[in-house]
Amino acid sequence: MFAGIDVGSLTAEALVIHEGRIVGSEIISVLPNPVDSARVVMDALLSRKGLTWKDLKYTISTGYGREKIQHYGLAQETLSEISCHGSGAHTLDPEVRTIIDIGGQDAKVIKLDAKGGLDDFVMNNKCAAGTGHFLEAMSRALGVGLEDLGPLAMKAKKPIAMSNRCTIYVETEVIHYLQRGASREDVAGGITMAMADRVVSLARRIGPENKIMITGGVAKNKAVKAALEKALGKKIAYPNLDPQLIGAYGAAVYAAAKGGSK
Amino acid sequence: MITIGCDVGSLFSKAVVMDGDDIIGKKIIATTGRIAAEVHDLLKAVMKSAGISADRVDCLGATGNGVGLVKGASFMEDTVTCAGAAAGYFIPEVRCAIDVGGQSITSIAIDEEGGVRNFMRNDKCASGSGRFLEMMSAKLGLSLRDVDKIAAEARNVVNISSQCGVFAESEVITHVNNGENKGDIMAGVCSAVAKMVSAQGRRFGAAEHFTLLGGVAKIDTITTMVRKSLGGHYHPFPFDPQLATAVGAALLGDSD
Repeated sequence: MFAGIDVGSLTAEALVIHEGRIVGSEIISVLPNPVDSARVVMDALLSRKGLTWKDLKYTISTGYGREKIQHYGLAQETLSEISCHGSGAHTLDPEVRTIIDIGGQDAKVIKLDAKGGLDDFVMNNKCAAGTGHFLEAMSRALGVGLEDLGPLAMKAKKPIAMSNRCTIYVETEVIHYLQRGASREDVAGGITMAMADRVVSLARRIGPENKIMITGGVAKNKAVKAALEKALGKKIAYPNLDPQLIGAYGAAVYAAAKGGSK
Repeated sequence: MITIGCDVGSLFSKAVVMDGDDIIGKKIIATTGRIAAEVHDLLKAVMKSAGISADRVDCLGATGNGVGLVKGASFMEDTVTCAGAAAGYFIPEVRCAIDVGGQSITSIAIDEEGGVRNFMRNDKCASGSGRFLEMMSAKLGLSLRDVDKIAAEARNVVNISSQCGVFAESEVITHVNNGENKGDIMAGVCSAVAKMVSAQGRRFGAAEHFTLLGGVAKIDTITTMVRKSLGGHYHPFPFDPQLATAVGAALLGDSD
């Protein structure tokens, strides 16, 4: 069996494959230390499936602290998130040429060639606008759970366009609209548009090409996906695997290719 | 000639009463939701602090985000022109004024006549603004008034690497959770603000003769760090730097 471990800024994922099929996967909230996150998430997966660490022939770690995870013997090799996302998305759908990956604290747009190799990529990890953090701050301002923001935005009749970009200023703007009696649905719709706007301007820097797949935790927000499609004027595919698991899946696929030939 | 200058800012509204070159009355209030009513009260209060009645005022100059809500203004001008005019008039040798306000950092190039030659503003992003400083202080349970006092206790200035206010806030929380002392974190926050202010000033040639304006310029820890980073000649504004733009509105109204 082969495994991938992906430790992000907010969540950590583990995934195990056997003969090309997914045996199991697990997602947890991160612990302060990435090595602990890696151990806990894999322990949870293994014990749920009645497996042990010994069953894992080759493991690749990716994400934050991936070197440390390897150093502590939890993985045999490390690989960048970009390569893992590329491998994961390509394995799920070989037609994918662009991946839009929106995580808790960053957003990446990755372009792949026909073989699934890395062609180009851009990343925003400097500004919270256009990342999961933005949606978290806005759902707090709206007084709804993060998972309720998408459904609320889908019900917007007339989304209110936000005039700011900065998370901090948009938060003030949201409160202002709510105080003036705007509906939470319309404000949520505007938040979604603002989010999509930031990600699209990032994507345009490398020119997204079909087929486009969305990954990362924010992909689960259907309203964001719809707003991205509208702003880009292109369809976006949703993976047939939890979009938060693509990195760990790609790592496991690599692990199988590397470890299987050893 | 008695003039009033009123600057309705994003976080604070400021008003001054000037008799020639002297400030004879001043007042600063927080800007909240009811701006028109607040400005009305602000003007009444500032005239009271100067001990004058409305009929003695020759001119009311208004500026700031909420300029349209200053009823009875006889003169209106943008904040860059006003801040530049105040710096140019009171500190003739200054060629650059960096105005760090509630929601923006503005570098203003000033010509020999004290007029605005050019300016550069970041108001798209909260980094380095008064709002940024306020958020970080709030995470430490401090008000802006305490910043200097607490930062003075610092022994090791912590590193805040993010420019984004949201990410910097997470860093502050991490430092608090790691048990770092408040002084060290507060000094780290001041250093982050000073870095952003200096970076913009440097891009705009603030190295020679410059001054710092706006509410953030009241924080000595930050002005000291900016001076150290920029070098050159720093000239403090002769009055409360938070009042500079309001002073400029009064000056320009006077000469109009």
